[in-house]
Amino acid sequence: MSQLRISNCGFIVRRTSVAIVTLISTFQLYAQTAANREILIRNATVMTITNGTIPGGSVLIRGSKIVAVGPDDQVRAGAGAEVIDATGRYLMPGIIDTHSHTAVEGSVNEISLPNTGMVRVHDALTNEDISAYRQLAGGTTTANILHGSANAIGGQNAVVKWKWGRPISEWPIADAPPGIKFALGENPKSANFSPPAGVAKQYPATRMGVAEVVRDSFTKARAYMAEWDTWNASRNKANLIPPRRDLLMEEMAEILRGNVQVHAHCYRSDEIVMLINLADEFGFKIATFQHVLEGYKVAKEIAAHGGLGAGTFIDWWGFKAESYDGIPHNVALMTRNGVLVSVNSDSDELARHLNLDAAKAMKYGGLSEEEALKTATINAARQLGVGHRIGSIEPGKDADLVLWSGHPFSTYSRVETTMIEGEVYFDRNRDLQQREDRKREKEALLTQEREAEEREKARAKSTAGGSKRGMGNER
Amino acid sequence: MKLRTMLLCAALMTASLPIAGQSVILNNPGPGGAYVIRNATIYPVTSAPIESGSIVIAGGKIVAVGRTVDTPEGATVIDGTGLSVYPGMIDSGTSIGLTEVGSVAGTRDIQELGDLNPNAVAAVALNPHSNVIPVTRINGITTVLTEPGGGIISGQSALIQLSGWTPPEMVLKSPAGMHINFPRVRTTPLSGQPQDEEGEKRAKKQYTSQLEKLRDTFRDAKAYEKALSASEKINAQHRPEKDLILHALVPVVRGDVPLVIFANLEADIREAMKFSDEVGIRMILSGGQEVQRVLPELRSKNVPVLLGPIWTLPGKEDDPYDLLFSNAAALHQAGIRFAIRTGGAHNARHLPYQAAACAAFGLPKEEALRAVTISPAEIFGVADRIGSLEAGKIANVIVTDGDPLEIRTNLVRLFIGGEDIPLDSYHTLQYDKFSRRP
Amino acid sequence: MLSRCRQLLLIIAAFLLAVPLVAQPPGVYAITGGTVHPVGGADIEGGTVIVRGGLIEAVGRNIPLPPDAVEVDVSGMHVYPGLFDAQTASGLPEPARRASFGDEAGTAPRATPAPEPTATFRAAETTKLTGEMLDSRRKTGVTTILVASNAGIFNGQSAILNLYGDDIPAMVLKSPATQQISFNPRSSWTYPDSLMGVIAHIRQTMLDAAQYDAASRIYSRDPAGKRRPTPDVNLEALAPVLRGELPVVFIADSETMIRRSRTLAEESKLRWILSGGRNTYRMADEIRSWGVPVLLSVNFPKPPANADERTEEPLRVIRERVLSVTAPAELARRNVPFALVSGKAAPADFISGIRKAIDAGLSETAALRAVTLTPAEILGVDRQIGSIARGKIANLVVTDGPIFDRDSKIKHLYIDGREIRLPAETTASPATPASASPIDGAWNLTVRAPDGDVSIQATLRLQGTELTGTYSGSAGSGDIRSGSFNENRLEFDITIQTQAEPSDWSFSGTVENATIRGTVRTNLGQFEFTGSRTP
Repeated sequence: MSQLRISNCGFIVRRTSVAIVTLISTFQLYAQTAANREILIRNATVMTITNGTIPGGSVLIRGSKIVAVGPDDQVRAGAGAEVIDATGRYLMPGIIDTHSHTAVEGSVNEISLPNTGMVRVHDALTNEDISAYRQLAGGTTTANILHGSANAIGGQNAVVKWKWGRPISEWPIADAPPGIKFALGENPKSANFSPPAGVAKQYPATRMGVAEVVRDSFTKARAYMAEWDTWNASRNKANLIPPRRDLLMEEMAEILRGNVQVHAHCYRSDEIVMLINLADEFGFKIATFQHVLEGYKVAKEIAAHGGLGAGTFIDWWGFKAESYDGIPHNVALMTRNGVLVSVNSDSDELARHLNLDAAKAMKYGGLSEEEALKTATINAARQLGVGHRIGSIEPGKDADLVLWSGHPFSTYSRVETTMIEGEVYFDRNRDLQQREDRKREKEALLTQEREAEEREKARAKSTAGGSKRGMGNER
Repeated sequence: MKLRTMLLCAALMTASLPIAGQSVILNNPGPGGAYVIRNATIYPVTSAPIESGSIVIAGGKIVAVGRTVDTPEGATVIDGTGLSVYPGMIDSGTSIGLTEVGSVAGTRDIQELGDLNPNAVAAVALNPHSNVIPVTRINGITTVLTEPGGGIISGQSALIQLSGWTPPEMVLKSPAGMHINFPRVRTTPLSGQPQDEEGEKRAKKQYTSQLEKLRDTFRDAKAYEKALSASEKINAQHRPEKDLILHALVPVVRGDVPLVIFANLEADIREAMKFSDEVGIRMILSGGQEVQRVLPELRSKNVPVLLGPIWTLPGKEDDPYDLLFSNAAALHQAGIRFAIRTGGAHNARHLPYQAAACAAFGLPKEEALRAVTISPAEIFGVADRIGSLEAGKIANVIVTDGDPLEIRTNLVRLFIGGEDIPLDSYHTLQYDKFSRRP
Repeated sequence: MLSRCRQLLLIIAAFLLAVPLVAQPPGVYAITGGTVHPVGGADIEGGTVIVRGGLIEAVGRNIPLPPDAVEVDVSGMHVYPGLFDAQTASGLPEPARRASFGDEAGTAPRATPAPEPTATFRAAETTKLTGEMLDSRRKTGVTTILVASNAGIFNGQSAILNLYGDDIPAMVLKSPATQQISFNPRSSWTYPDSLMGVIAHIRQTMLDAAQYDAASRIYSRDPAGKRRPTPDVNLEALAPVLRGELPVVFIADSETMIRRSRTLAEESKLRWILSGGRNTYRMADEIRSWGVPVLLSVNFPKPPANADERTEEPLRVIRERVLSVTAPAELARRNVPFALVSGKAAPADFISGIRKAIDAGLSETAALRAVTLTPAEILGVDRQIGSIARGKIANLVVTDGPIFDRDSKIKHLYIDGREIRLPAETTASPATPASASPIDGAWNLTVRAPDGDVSIQATLRLQGTELTGTYSGSAGSGDIRSGSFNENRLEFDITIQTQAEPSDWSFSGTVENATIRGTVRTNLGQFEFTGSRTP
């Protein structure tokens, strides 16, 4: 890089932009997706999820999509295809985490009101949360980013892919249905935290009150909808004052219309039944019950409700009273009762090895390997309304794929490569290489900064002898 | 089968009060006696695996291990065909027995108030009937280090067997270590937002004052010990007035109990080693997220490491994603003794999988197994009693249908102190109960 | 609009501007012989600028001197338009610190926060510019500033002030100049206390303002049979914003915040200006395509003082720190209209910040435009200020060398056609003798704990800035630890014996008129305390 030291003045700019350009071009090399570019992953154990596991299988990717899946001898690529020899490796679809709080700037809780359904996680997404990359390194490619659980009705969700390095506008899955967070139990009733001195405690303080917050919200929403119906039906609109557009009530109305997926944080069986009854009363569905550690106690009721099932961390328990009855067999018991179940993280760390949580569904309660694999992939995709494009290895689906060194249920396996829509977003060898590159870039930038400071100091010295400066004040 | 039904009835009766009605019966160890496991693959850990081997358990001890063994009279014979036998695993850092429900203060006995609690003794506050114990042991973990936490000097840990009717019945060694939660600059408050300048200044001030406090306490403890020794040897009349805090440090100052220092960042680990040198007391490092930055020093000072939790996020944005997974391999390559700890209670059952995670990132598999068996036994000075399958050792023995570090492996038999422990827990009982819901 | 509050302001101003300003009435000047840099036109060697009645009467070469003009010979010097710093919070109260969920004890705000500004807030009515503040800006060649609060979410209406006048109203060039929005969450448990909430709040407020505007119009046209809209001055204040008459300044530095600003601006079809703009260095093409003007802050990030901390910082942070100085050059290269502003930098750091931008590739000509004509254009005052042209306000800086040169000194400064004399540099005042220590001696401290006052007697000794001493009281006695005293601020810790266990109490407060006031952080929470000298 020293040949770029053209002049002192331009030095800062030029030298660094070269470092950046190098990075970007390396990235683009991997990330470019010409619509017809082909990648053939061959001789892998292909876990399709929906159509069994193919030993010695191939997957052909064109552009961002999977175009062919089958035994090696049945999948043919074009002449220019890039071939990845995956001998000895396992290929599965990208893991989907149905409960995440990663990549949110600022607080994940708008804690101030019992119902904050007007706030949107979308608005606070950031592409600079390193956790997203670390989850790619664990095979997770998609996440349901939810508002926190401090209030009975929280904010609106965002379903995103971890397109690390890309602008944040590219992360959300465009056709994922909108969703919202509900929360029941200890958190919305502020059992484990309270406002600072001088700030009044906030309603509710019991599970009774939590139910009433939900009921109150939808009662108001019905009135709001009626007000707009009247307005819309009125003729002389020009001479009428229109109703106020209330973003919170708009969202509540959308839930009542069935256009928003409710993801309800819950633990205890009684509150699960409460919410099912309340939703029935107002005529909408709870899409997913989240955490739902006592789901196994009311699995039949959850199945009968007809939503999209349950998402749970499989074996976290005992961290608070309402999690004390959490048992790792929950996933198996709910599955056996006809509930669609996904294993999810609620944690930047756990989201790095959800494959192992799926494996635990075999250990605890004896799900088959196929059933267990689904809990981290297609079940989650269906719950988020994106089952048509991700969650399994099928022609026509997004090429969101993870290549493992061994069986993804083995504790000894690690991720070698993670792809989203045909682009490599994590690759272990590339990662090892980038560690060196990043170290060098950091050193170069720090040197550059030090040199700029020294130049500045030298200049300050050269004028220090003179009379007092009239302008500025270099400190 | 009968036992299982009995347990189920007990569970049905207590299920409505799960926390209050601790499962006394659940925790009831199975009958002691003599057992022979035949025709299994035996993994003694300290020697090569034995195909089609046998192991004899009697009187709470391992009596024999080998291809051929003598069966004691009246021994229960277990056919081990297709099964594997391993020593019970050891978690080198938990709060098992000191906590039941994380957020319910009434069930937590981990952290005493104030900064200096060398006289807080884990062994006196163990709940032998905690539901966490069976949940943990049926994943093959038979022994754990239970440690107090928080403050600056957190207290004395105990190495405990996960079976017993009373704390003394469980305790293998107490104190196992004097635990120091090494001071660190807390630049990020609980909210996770970086602190402003004032907050940072305050954090640094607090750090300095905590370090001073720690050094002062050990200086006082040395003076106290000196006075105590003198009074014991020379003049009993000048016996120093008993000070519970300083008295608790006497065995530490005399070198009988090691310091277990919890530190994660490079600077803190270095400062901790410096402190250990200053006071002249050997230390064991616990935590150790940034051990890869201090390998030569750890090695030259012969500091063993209780590494973990492994399943945790790297502390710094630029840390490699696999920092925690690759630490063990680095320690192994550098020739530094280490064991693995989960650092929790309710999910200490993850211990084998966290050890395997190290193997996925460069640690040889057999070393991963050692890190949860013989290595911790050596570090805590109990290798003559636990940590491997050798005649004369306490019979902490697990029988599995495969590699115990794999999730899909199932435990089929569990012996702790030679007792045949039922593979039940609060969780399995809840599972049985709700499997039967009409 | 100005007259409405003029009376009140005059009263306020009488207090505020009691500092004697050494200035002349607007006279007639002929500034001759210097190199005139008019900005927006070619430089004029040996040019003349005629100033009359506060305005520029003529500029050029070989202009005949009016007989009544005082000639100021600036041969060998440089004449520039006065600099315009288009983003400051001069003279406005500091925003209150926000208490956030999970804050450790003691990090909550100490004092009662000042009320948060709203859309109706007018900086022109609140700013209190002392003589020192004026001088601190003027001695860097700045003759005009924009003042806007940086507290709250709707920061209110900014004002552009010429830094000379008999009172604030006389200084105002334009008010309101902009409406301003910052993404500042409120304290926890007060809506909105998250970034998501702040955005939802802005979005709802804009909807409400539009609705209010529509409702008011419909109602005033034909009130019969309609419910009267509840008057709301905040929503009313946003009407000109929604009509595009008043631009909105979004304060945003990070790439994500900049994008959020744009999303909000597009949603409500606002005329917007980006202020801050630290990350624009890496999104200059997009900024250009959006057509948004930028008030680019020269408050560039500074490295940590400690060398270890510097290298431990993530690459992302280091990149941002080292490269953000290139933002001005990047924007200039793409012809994005941008001004350089001090933002949250100290007034004295304005010029050095500009120099950093020049060091990083910005031409001096572009830099000059960015602190004169461009901000005037962005804020719609370019017919009054920003260049040396006939009819414009005579804000002029005369320097003995190129204006951004480190060695250059200001020789003359004119604001509104008046010559301003800058104060001579003063040397640091000698340290106060120890005998006059406001802290040494015996004190009675009273801590207002929830279950009653706790009384503590303390004897304090000051050595340098280190505070030592002893304390005693019902809750134990001992040495005070970690004590410090600086200016009027003191901090120290003691160990208190409460019922259960010893615990550390950390005192921090200020001394004024032999009284200490402050807070003490304890294991039980944070309390106020006062101290008075033991009689």
